[in-house]
Amino acid sequence: MKFFAVRAGSIALAVAACFALQSFAIGKGDLVFRLVFLAGLYVTLAVSLNLINGITGQFSIGHAAFYMVGAYGAGYTANNYAGSWGLKGPLLMLVLLLIGAVVAAVAGLVVGLPSLRLRGDYLAVVTLGFGEIIRIFVQNSPPLGGAYGLTVDAQFKFKYVWMVWLLAILCIAVCRNLLKTAHGLPFLAVREDEIASSAMGVNVTRVKVTAFVIGSAFAGAAGAMLANFDGFISPTSFPMELSFTILTMVVLGGTGSITGSALAGGVLFYIPEYLRDLKPVSGSSLVAAVIAVIAAVYVVKRIADHYHGDKGKRAALYLGTIIAGVVLQIILAAVFKNVPSLANANFEASKLRMVIFSSTLIILMLLRPQGVFAHHEFSWSWIQRLLGKKVPTTAVSV
Amino acid sequence: MSLLHLDKATIKFGGLIAVNEVSFEIKPGQLFGLIGPNGAGKTTCFNLITGVYKPTSGSIKFEGREISGTPSNKIAHLGIARTFQNIRLFGALSVLENVVVGGFLRHHTGLGSAIAYLPPAIKETDELKQEAMRLLEVVDLAHVANVRSRDLSYGMQRRLEIARAMATQPKLLLLDEPAAGMNPQEKMDLTGTVRRIRDEHDKTVLLIEHDMRFVMELCENIVVLDHGEEIAQGPPSEIRNDPKVIEAYLGEAV
Repeated sequence: MKFFAVRAGSIALAVAACFALQSFAIGKGDLVFRLVFLAGLYVTLAVSLNLINGITGQFSIGHAAFYMVGAYGAGYTANNYAGSWGLKGPLLMLVLLLIGAVVAAVAGLVVGLPSLRLRGDYLAVVTLGFGEIIRIFVQNSPPLGGAYGLTVDAQFKFKYVWMVWLLAILCIAVCRNLLKTAHGLPFLAVREDEIASSAMGVNVTRVKVTAFVIGSAFAGAAGAMLANFDGFISPTSFPMELSFTILTMVVLGGTGSITGSALAGGVLFYIPEYLRDLKPVSGSSLVAAVIAVIAAVYVVKRIADHYHGDKGKRAALYLGTIIAGVVLQIILAAVFKNVPSLANANFEASKLRMVIFSSTLIILMLLRPQGVFAHHEFSWSWIQRLLGKKVPTTAVSV
Repeated sequence: MSLLHLDKATIKFGGLIAVNEVSFEIKPGQLFGLIGPNGAGKTTCFNLITGVYKPTSGSIKFEGREISGTPSNKIAHLGIARTFQNIRLFGALSVLENVVVGGFLRHHTGLGSAIAYLPPAIKETDELKQEAMRLLEVVDLAHVANVRSRDLSYGMQRRLEIARAMATQPKLLLLDEPAAGMNPQEKMDLTGTVRRIRDEHDKTVLLIEHDMRFVMELCENIVVLDHGEEIAQGPPSEIRNDPKVIEAYLGEAV
């Protein structure tokens, strides 16, 4: 009884949170709405790729292709068939969502069955190739709009943001549940050692294909959302870079960490958007900032490599370095003001956004190659452990 | 009836005949040894039995059923479990989780139940963990159940491999150099553990080992391989004095 009470409670909480988010986003203009909506999609994409890449250890870099398959599947259905069903509102969206998921899952199965017998780099090449094939196929098929793109009968345009976030939560819940039960262990075992897994009776190919299909299904569902909420999709909305962006989210969040990829999905999507609004900066403060950042990164790296003492002290040293970096930037900027050629040069900071974004990624990988969360989950027991309590260190505790 | 029966099992890799017409029979409850110098084909023999390789010719029967060419995971389901010479644990998983993976092949709840986190899957997970915990007690690893297996000492990792193989509840347990790298005390403990596994848990054991004293003390029957050929077979007392075995190990007189 308690079980069902908790379950009903957490579902109600999730739905309520999604509606709260919707009512927050509504009336704040199209831009905010779009950001909230896309952030939800990216969280779904990152977490679903994490199931394939991080948890099962299959290096797939074609995730955007499944996103695309779902988007076109649901978009095409909405344009050509959905009118005669007589469904309306969220119910119709739900059906379209399922169609997107199923189409992408089938694509995942078709790609996965032959290629998941490959390992590592070979699989990466196959998934990359698949992504390109799908994109070029769509580009050259008139019924799908070809290179012009497909305008989807947009009755859901800018509505139901709650559904997007509910999908993200569902995706996180599926991965979390999998790892909480013994059923998740074969997935992790395949990542760790395929030969040993199969000697323990794990059907390695089946586990990989399952992960691939579930991951693709969620990407496809996200695609269905995009097609029907945005109202327009084209092959250029799903470039190869998108696959890499999603992969970056997974790696940066900490490969294998569900909460890590969810957080990285949201944040990494938001940073470039946020940087659009930066005010122009003068050459002097820009140069000062570059010098300060390089110096601070160097010092932090030195501390990380050579200081093995108390954790609290180390954190204090990091904090001190960051403050020193900020101070250094202010001082240097004041000094460089006296250099006319620097002080008079003005830079559009918004044009530097991709430079800033990619430097952030490089710095993060320099300082924390295992990702922000490494293999940890942001959970209650993790916080307890940070505070020095003895709590089991693995995903599935006793 | 014999539990495992190799009949002229042969495997060739290109021009190299790694295992050449090896035949032996293991009866239920036996402690069987497979020995030979480096490169004799012992581990290849294990790989044939566990389905990593398919024999080029000859047959391998388990409980009277032909198993050559059956995939590894199916062979594990039939009741053959193994450990590895170069330890192959699931490094990032905890000691307990490693053993649960072994026990998981007997699961009966579906993936859907796990994804929805329904009571049957939760209950099964708990049962598998408890069962794994009992096995960890057998190999004396219960106190490190929540440690990452990568962080264990070498001897402990070897014992964990045995526990993980035991978790599949095999009829036949294959141990690939279980004593490699262990000190004399650890070896003695291991002898006891292997005996206990046979006597109390009713398993048949086939083991590969380099340490002659260890094998002679433990095994009731021994097959000796050299250059992929079977050169002797019999109880330890016979093997010890077999001129061919002495020659294989010490080299021939000049």
